[in-house]
Amino acid sequence: MYTMQVDLAINDQQEQLDASKSDSLLDVLRKQGRTGAKRGCDTGACGFCTVLVDGEPEKSCIVPAANADGSTVETIEGLGSQSDLHPIQQAFVDNFALQCGFCIPGMIMRSKALLAENPDLTEAEVREALSDNLCRCTGYKKIVRAVLDAADGVDDTSTSVVADGGHLGVSNADGACGCCHDGGDSE
Amino acid sequence: MSTPDSPTERDDPDDTIDRQDHPREWDEPENNRTVPSERENINTDTEKNDARKIVTGEARYTADYHERFPELAEGTVIRSDIPHGYVTDIDTSAAEGMDGVYAVITPWDDEVPDKLYSSSGQSYPEPSPWDMNVLRKHVRYVGDPIAAVAAEDSETADRAARTVQVEYEELDGVFDPGSATNEDAPQLFEPDDVENKQSGAEYERNLESHFEGEIGDVDAAIEQADEERVVETEWETPYQSHCVPEPHTTIAYTDEDNRHSFITATQVPFHTRRQLAHLFDVPIRDIRVTKPRIGAGFGSKQEMAIEPIAFALHLKAGVPVKLEMTRQEEFTALRFRHPMRMRMRTAVSENGELTAMDLYALSNSGAYGTHGMTVANNVGTKPLPLYPRVPNVRFEGDVVHTNLPMGAAMRGYGAPQGHFAVEAHMDEVARQLDRDPIAFRRDHVVRAGDLVRNSAILKDGDRFARRIRSCGIEECIDRGKDAIGYDDLEQPEQSHRHRGVGMALIAQGSGVSGKELGAAQIMMNEDGSFHLQVGGVDTGTGTDTTFSQISAEVLGCAPEDVVVLSSDTDLTPFDYGAYASSTTYISGMAVKKAAEDAKERLLDWGSRMLDEPVSVLETGSGEIYSEETGASVTLEEVGYEAIYGDEKREQILGRSSHSTDESPPPFGAQFVDVTVDEKTGEYELNKLAFAADCGVAINPPQVEGQIEGGEHMSLEYATSGSLDFEEGQPKTHGFRQYGMPRTTDHPPMETLLVETHEPTGPFGAKSIAELPTNGVPPALSNAIRDAVGIRINTLPITAERIKQALDHTD
Ligand code: FES
Ligand code: FES
Repeated sequence: MYTMQVDLAINDQQEQLDASKSDSLLDVLRKQGRTGAKRGCDTGACGFCTVLVDGEPEKSCIVPAANADGSTVETIEGLGSQSDLHPIQQAFVDNFALQCGFCIPGMIMRSKALLAENPDLTEAEVREALSDNLCRCTGYKKIVRAVLDAADGVDDTSTSVVADGGHLGVSNADGACGCCHDGGDSE
Repeated sequence: MSTPDSPTERDDPDDTIDRQDHPREWDEPENNRTVPSERENINTDTEKNDARKIVTGEARYTADYHERFPELAEGTVIRSDIPHGYVTDIDTSAAEGMDGVYAVITPWDDEVPDKLYSSSGQSYPEPSPWDMNVLRKHVRYVGDPIAAVAAEDSETADRAARTVQVEYEELDGVFDPGSATNEDAPQLFEPDDVENKQSGAEYERNLESHFEGEIGDVDAAIEQADEERVVETEWETPYQSHCVPEPHTTIAYTDEDNRHSFITATQVPFHTRRQLAHLFDVPIRDIRVTKPRIGAGFGSKQEMAIEPIAFALHLKAGVPVKLEMTRQEEFTALRFRHPMRMRMRTAVSENGELTAMDLYALSNSGAYGTHGMTVANNVGTKPLPLYPRVPNVRFEGDVVHTNLPMGAAMRGYGAPQGHFAVEAHMDEVARQLDRDPIAFRRDHVVRAGDLVRNSAILKDGDRFARRIRSCGIEECIDRGKDAIGYDDLEQPEQSHRHRGVGMALIAQGSGVSGKELGAAQIMMNEDGSFHLQVGGVDTGTGTDTTFSQISAEVLGCAPEDVVVLSSDTDLTPFDYGAYASSTTYISGMAVKKAAEDAKERLLDWGSRMLDEPVSVLETGSGEIYSEETGASVTLEEVGYEAIYGDEKREQILGRSSHSTDESPPPFGAQFVDVTVDEKTGEYELNKLAFAADCGVAINPPQVEGQIEGGEHMSLEYATSGSLDFEEGQPKTHGFRQYGMPRTTDHPPMETLLVETHEPTGPFGAKSIAELPTNGVPPALSNAIRDAVGIRINTLPITAERIKQALDHTD
């Protein structure tokens, strides 16, 4: 039942996707196999479907596909790979900041936008910024710590190792860490 | 740090017989009890084995499998919009005529079984009544499934569903559990509407079950006690939603061998297979249930809530069908924690002994009886064992039907309700008797060596009485007190703000006593790695990782060298499934025994290759080594030799299953620090602290995650979660109306692990998953009592309720 096509730059790749009038951005992403963004409510109330649209975190289930036409979209698939994780992903793994994982792609994309905007964050700011993204499993404690850890990694651009334990192990040739540069994804 | 528990001998002449059936010393294998320096892979922080695919978005949940099915149809369920009545007609003609619609089913279709069943996902025969049909002609709540549509996509299915016209003959409903048993109350079930009835059922009075049990003579003890020293309290708890992150989702299809297959978000693949086979009259072997990654369950996915509808749609449509619930269905039509009213009475003697405890629970089962009786049973049998030496104990309950959504299993399983009643009551008793609430409870609290009979108060005989062989509850109290700053609490400067601290003690179980089975098989590869096939179900908690650690600890490899394949009814051994906090304790023990079985073969090969007797060989760090000569051979060398050797060849494998009557309780202490504004009733949570004794924590950060997530649910139960209805019509449709705590609603949480050694568990482990869901409501009620002297006995605890109570005392 496709009635239109939308042009999207998804994770640095120009794509033309089929969509029906009622499709949301989440629908079209998932239909063509990018299933990292999850459907938890379809009403903009859980944050599991969060992706970046032109750099801004958006709940893709309430973005009509038609409105996204022509925009740049970043999804979890565009971040690191399992053997070469993005620093935020690495921080989630190292901090055990996940259980069932259903909320995690959305959390990570939200965190990515947050850290791009302001890598120098207090815990209260992280909590405020993530307050639209629900998690039923973790009690948020380890998630907040992961984002703060990742922020430390981002903030501390002079060295590639974060202060408290150094487990991010992030290094980047040009001294940036890879999670705060503009214009989408490197991996 | 840890001191292995040595049960204290107490003088207890009545206890001699029980020492045989419930010995204090457990005959545990030598390798089960280790000190930290001997541990390679347990009690170590081990990366969750699905973490990387989760953070990269590659972990696949049921709905993510749609790509595998080019012809996949999507389903929508048509549900009752009245709370009680008969469906007299369903007009599906418009839907059937629509382009892209593959099938419409109603209760009258051949593909839809007309049998009674229970969706409970329990062992066989289910301890829940068989009281429902797949699609229902007699609807008993708003949300009861009546018909369903499968179409080429969900948009078409939704549109078609909206055209289906249902006519009803409406009946009066009953919405208040307190009056549901009245003679003039509308009746939900005729007696022959139900098979497999549970104890004490009287369907003429909407009574699904009545149960009672007594130890000693409670009435006599209360009679004897000084009136001032008999305290009675009442408690009320609301509906709570699991808020399961991934909505219930199922894909049903038939493969080229004509076997019916399900990729489904379930906690109980094997029970689901059996229930589907019975319901649809298909041999068990012709059904395959596979659980992919699941977006958590918390009990809601113990229910076989949607698989039968998906299957019937698939049978009629002839193409694979995916059925995915909406969030609104999750909040109105699926499953919940049972609302309850409880009454607790205790008598305390002059010298401070607790002489009697008397607990009554009225549970609102809603429209159907799944887990109705068993959840209500746990209201008493989980918290009462905190005080096992009370000589006179009675526990009674009624489980009633109303025209509201059905309760079911939910993490904690009656224990959150029960702990609210018991632990807030105990605090109240202490305060009324002018005792420190913590010191008072310490006097009576469970100790290692106790024989707990009240956990089996509803059963005949003492088979399920429980010997306590590990108990760190006193240390939990001490460490929790320190963490919360119990002894030096600073009061706020403003005189209308008051700070208080409350504690609740907590116990759970590790599996259902005498009703569990786990099984595992482990096979060695040439390169010294292993494949573990295990029925145990990882619902997101990380038990696949736990299994790999347990295997590795036995076999001497690294956890990442164990490839875990779990919960596929075609490929893995049987398991009862992930419920009742059984997975680490039961399935984990099956894994340990299977690994030991494989290790025997491994050492046999090691002995041959090293030319040393098995008795001097051990495994570790990827090797078999001789404790005598230090000679060693790598697991890889053994792997190649065993498979490609010249003289002899063998697939090294081990298998085992595990079942037991034991269900050792993990223990905990929940502390809450609160500041209350006496003018407005508003309160602020300053901190939560939770100290847990789960035996040996196999993967400590995963255990912390369980505790913090459990406290999150408990915090919600205490402060914000509940469902609203008006004459049976749901008013809570989504997250926006429901009070699930967000990042900003959580106070600081401190998590403390107190190690004990449980000799019946794998490497000393007990359960953890449900324990932390029980504590915040009583601890918060107690903290508010401490701060401003009033008792809140109804959840959720709101500023309004506090204000009302404060005004009342003025
Ligand atoms: S699925 Fe988009 S916010 Fe919930
Ligand atoms: S990890 Fe399960 S919802 Fe967040």
